[in-house]
Amino acid sequence: MADERKLVLTRGIVKENPVFILMLGLCPTLGVTTQVINGLGMGAAVIFVLVFSNIFVSLLKNVIPNSVRIPSYIVIIAAFVTIVEMVMHAFAPAIYKALGIFLPLIVVNCIILGRAEAFANKNSVLDSFLDAIGMGVGFLLAVTLIALIREVFGSGTITLMAIGSFDGVIEIPLLYSYPVRILSLAAGALLLMGYLKAFFEWASARKRG
Amino acid sequence: MRQFMRVGVTLALIAAVAATALALVNEVTAPRIAAYELQVIQNALTEVSGGFEIGETRGAPDEASVREIHTLTDPSNSISGYILQLVGTGYGGEMTIMASYTSDGAVIDARLLANAETPGLGKKAESPSYMEKFKDTGSEQSVPVKKDELEKADADSISGATVTFSGIAKTIAYGSDFVKSLGGE
Repeated sequence: MADERKLVLTRGIVKENPVFILMLGLCPTLGVTTQVINGLGMGAAVIFVLVFSNIFVSLLKNVIPNSVRIPSYIVIIAAFVTIVEMVMHAFAPAIYKALGIFLPLIVVNCIILGRAEAFANKNSVLDSFLDAIGMGVGFLLAVTLIALIREVFGSGTITLMAIGSFDGVIEIPLLYSYPVRILSLAAGALLLMGYLKAFFEWASARKRG
Repeated sequence: MRQFMRVGVTLALIAAVAATALALVNEVTAPRIAAYELQVIQNALTEVSGGFEIGETRGAPDEASVREIHTLTDPSNSISGYILQLVGTGYGGEMTIMASYTSDGAVIDARLLANAETPGLGKKAESPSYMEKFKDTGSEQSVPVKKDELEKADADSISGATVTFSGIAKTIAYGSDFVKSLGGE
């Protein structure tokens, strides 16, 4: 039993990574990953919404009539997204500004609806919570990885949170002057996504033998 | 029939609980958000004032794209310029731009405020350095509104976000003409 729990928690990180393996939530993945801080902010927001939507969907799984389950999930998810949006706007305006339109779009992020439909409405609250953490962390790692590659090679910088005298931007000497600009544009995001997907396919195929 | 009732009532209940939760959160965050938005405008006003004193605030005239006018005064209290809150259209829709001008229409400085531009592309226009290319244009030299009117480094900096640039540039140019029409009054 303990092993099963562990699997539920960890599979989202690599084995069933929502972005690279399940191919869910690609829109925000490609959209916000121009700076590392956006990836981290988006990842954190998705973890928050995913945890609460999974818990509530699991709690209400016997209450929600089957015929209206999708609208009910959307209402639950939309409520949490709006809460995240308001709280971020009030307490972390910089990240709120950077995420822009992608924040409200978490409502239709397939990872969240996908996990509600595929996992939370059939499993216990604890399992749903663990699944949300695993999938959320997997998403956070994936978007941060893409953002890191795109920002380092596309603009020659790494943008993190500004703290005190540190303005949050690390410049990488050579790449800052000669960036591979396509990587920071939309086409570069698709190209990079393709290469990373191919890499993960290759890695998992090799593991299977 | 009872089945339909149950479905409807459950959905309504879920929606009601969600709405209540949102109202509560809104109660807490709304004042902070309002204070923050006001702070943003205040900061932008001070930043673009170019060392002049900010004088009176006038409401919008019959112009759709000018929302607010602030006068800039020198120590002797005569008007030496204006700050305009302008509305333009970018890639993501409406943009609010705050721009300051001397009385003859030359741009002192500008800031992009509320907007829905693409993060990482058009959003870069929010940085103060983006507005360098407009400074001192508008009186003798016209405000650059096309990419080929810019120097190479500036032209590179807007690549991937030309629509944002032309929206901002046209709005700033419009503001410059508007200031000229005020004639220092």
